[in-house]
Amino acid sequence: MTKFVLRRILSGILTVLIVFTMNFLLVKSAPGDPIRSLMGKETDDPALRAALEEKWGLNRPLHEQYFNYLENALRGDLGTSITYNRPVDQMIKERVAATLLLGLTALIIAFIVGTILGIFCARHDGSFLDSILSTSSYAADAMPSFWLGLMLIIIFATKLNLLPSHGMYDVRAGYTGLQYVLDVLSHLVLPCLTLVLITMPGYFRITKSSVLQVTNEDFITTMRATGMSERKIFNKYIFRNAILPTVTMLGISVAFLLTGVSLIEIVFSWPGIGSLTLTAITQRDYPTLMGIYLVMNLSVVVVMIITDILYAFLDPRIRYE
Amino acid sequence: MKRIWDKFVDSIKCDYQFRTGIIGLAFLLLIVVLGPVIATHDPYFYGPDSLAAPGEAGHLLGTNHMGQDIFSMLVYGVRTSLLVAITASMISGILGVVIGGIGGYFGGKIDVIVSEIINIFLMIPTFFLIMLIVSLFGSNIMNVMIVIGLTTWSSNAKLMRAQALSLRERTFVKSAIALGETKLQVLFKYILPNGIFPVVANTTRGMAGAILTEASLSFLGLGDPNIISWGQMIYQGKQQTSWWISTFSGIAIILTVIIFYMLGDGLNHVLNPKYKKGGK
Amino acid sequence: MEHILVVKNLSVTYVNKNRRVMAVRDVSFDIDKGDSLGIVGESGSGKSTLAMALLRLHPDGTKITGEAFFEGKNLLTISNEEMNDIRWTKIAVVFQKAMNSLSAVHRISEQIEDIYRVHCPQTSSEEIKKRALELLKLVNLPDRVYRLYPHEMSGGMLQRVAIAISLLHSPQLLIFDEATTALDVVTQGQILREIVEMEKTLSTTRIMITHDMSVVATTCNKVAVMYAGELMEFGLVKDVLTHPHHPYTQGLQGSFPSLKGENNILTSIPGFLPDLSKECKGCVFAPRCSHATERCFMEKPPMISVGETGGAACWLCEGEKYGK
Repeated sequence: MTKFVLRRILSGILTVLIVFTMNFLLVKSAPGDPIRSLMGKETDDPALRAALEEKWGLNRPLHEQYFNYLENALRGDLGTSITYNRPVDQMIKERVAATLLLGLTALIIAFIVGTILGIFCARHDGSFLDSILSTSSYAADAMPSFWLGLMLIIIFATKLNLLPSHGMYDVRAGYTGLQYVLDVLSHLVLPCLTLVLITMPGYFRITKSSVLQVTNEDFITTMRATGMSERKIFNKYIFRNAILPTVTMLGISVAFLLTGVSLIEIVFSWPGIGSLTLTAITQRDYPTLMGIYLVMNLSVVVVMIITDILYAFLDPRIRYE
Repeated sequence: MKRIWDKFVDSIKCDYQFRTGIIGLAFLLLIVVLGPVIATHDPYFYGPDSLAAPGEAGHLLGTNHMGQDIFSMLVYGVRTSLLVAITASMISGILGVVIGGIGGYFGGKIDVIVSEIINIFLMIPTFFLIMLIVSLFGSNIMNVMIVIGLTTWSSNAKLMRAQALSLRERTFVKSAIALGETKLQVLFKYILPNGIFPVVANTTRGMAGAILTEASLSFLGLGDPNIISWGQMIYQGKQQTSWWISTFSGIAIILTVIIFYMLGDGLNHVLNPKYKKGGK
Repeated sequence: MEHILVVKNLSVTYVNKNRRVMAVRDVSFDIDKGDSLGIVGESGSGKSTLAMALLRLHPDGTKITGEAFFEGKNLLTISNEEMNDIRWTKIAVVFQKAMNSLSAVHRISEQIEDIYRVHCPQTSSEEIKKRALELLKLVNLPDRVYRLYPHEMSGGMLQRVAIAISLLHSPQLLIFDEATTALDVVTQGQILREIVEMEKTLSTTRIMITHDMSVVATTCNKVAVMYAGELMEFGLVKDVLTHPHHPYTQGLQGSFPSLKGENNILTSIPGFLPDLSKECKGCVFAPRCSHATERCFMEKPPMISVGETGGAACWLCEGEKYGK
């Protein structure tokens, strides 16, 4: 067990390090000049250029820049944003809460609803609800998430004027207390619904197929032959065996939560990491981009390791491999 | 050749997903070829009727803010989507087959390194990486296609590696080695051609992924401004309040992606001997 | 001697969307207390379907007609509650694939406790453990097995565990459904010997479903031969194996011992299994039978008594003109 965990952690560290290096090299080898965009197009004052290069450390040799960045990153310092002139880690920290609020809410709803529907349809295979859900899950897979978001905006915000379509709260109203919470919730509805509609079919399908598969396993027949009640067989034996692939999928979803939410954040101007990414891209804000990407990778690696360990507890077969 | 053709016809008859996929693909190719005939306007032409509603002023599906005809743009958009889908997944497929094949076939230390690289790439948030590279290196369509190909090969490699691992234990491979063929000869003559089928199916599904990725990039403003792409049309629709601009292009994307999904799943059934015939 | 199980005119039909498969047709037999009956047949002969029907474990939509009296109760008509009371306390079963016959993510101990408590919910874990260890010893397994997961054991060990579990409530009737088929020959032999040994101390009745005549020969006193869902011949093992009356049973002997597996049984008899979705007018075996006459194709032969206790469904046995 310890060996298994250690191996996973080592491989995780390696992943982060490789991504870090790749990141650094990519940004450095890219065409275009950040100083130039920083100075504005009109001026080309060499003194100003030198001062800026000194300030951002762009005039030092590549390997020095690399180790400098690595050292700082290890201390949690991801550099300073070129556009906002603020520490990148601080900017990410400010926005991570909004992203997590949206992402986790959608994830939990999608997981619970998808799993329940999956179990239901496995037990009523071929029913009306099952055929509708199975068909629409295929379509949901083919749907660009941002397009679905736009469609929901057009229907519920523009046409019906039922729900807000932009931001996380009404800036002008300045609500406090319960009113503020309700305001955030109403802003949460559409982006959350979009994410749920896109991700739920995955849980639905994987749960349905694994419940169906486990139900046909020989040991379930054995349990029936013992006279055990169907309820007990399902709640303890089918569920426990069928949940394993769903847990894996949940782990992967949590791991890729930050990236998965990005596009939806942009559609709904949700003030999270996704929106920050978009501004960083348009402004060629390298330190911010690198910082965000590094944080994303780190979260993927950490959550994947946790998932693997958790999974090993759920499935005794894994520990000895 | 005739046997392959017979098998193909047989598969179309047997597997409903494969049949739907093939018909859909033929339909898309027809639109590509007949594009200029079907399109009612020149999609690059900035007409005088800007933001015309569907049906208005002879525009079947309306126009965008530049006065371009939406229907004609949709017709020409097929070309972009297919180009991206095929080029990107070809790169991804070839890389996957070669890397996975080498790892699985040679085994030992090479395999340890290869599978570690595959695992690392499976852990990297691919879309963000593509976004980063395209924003750094410019967003012309060539870049977009190559980058998608270069970042999505890992799942193909994983499949190919598993295939090669099992193939190299087979008698015909072992006898080829015993007969003195070199490792590289064996790899290219026996391992790759025999193990490629699951990768083909996966690559077809990857085409759908490439279309969605290109659309997402365009939606972020990272698309090639010189071409017509459905993703960009959705992006334009976002800026305007006119519903028709994004709606129709989105539907076009969904239909195309479903066609490739069907084709991929169908191929999986057809090429996988373990899959029972006559399913669904 | 008292009958423990009386099966009369049992037919099982699987109903699919567009197909009906008559897997078991009009089968009648009975077993006395303390008997060990081997039901032999190749795959598709309906022998496992028969067992599943007796346990009422058949898939939904299956049509069953006939009667199966166990201790005076018709297993096919009693309520689900009554059936559940009989399951495992009176009738227990050991299935073929031991590897899959237990949940992979639960310890043996947990599964045994759950199974035990189906019928005795108040029993403490210690008591169940005591009983389980007793049974594990009976099947020659060490105590530590109780704490293991299924994947930590070999196929032979798992099969022994499955046998031990089937004995938890000392059932009167034990059904072994191809229980040793998946094992290697040596392990199979060991387990079969253990089963016979075990029965000297327990007073169980056993049904052994198998495709392997040698299993029947070594572990049973009675045998029923099935083909295409119908009973061909039954009788004492010593009679049937030495003087088979039915041409099918004779054919079976030609392919014995059948170490090659279930599908190779009938290589010595030319022809194929009949289509089970069609009604059969005459004898089901007639198309493959070298002694078949016109009558065999037109009229279905009834079970005709042969010897003291045996019977064979073959016109040739009428008046004992054939066989000896």
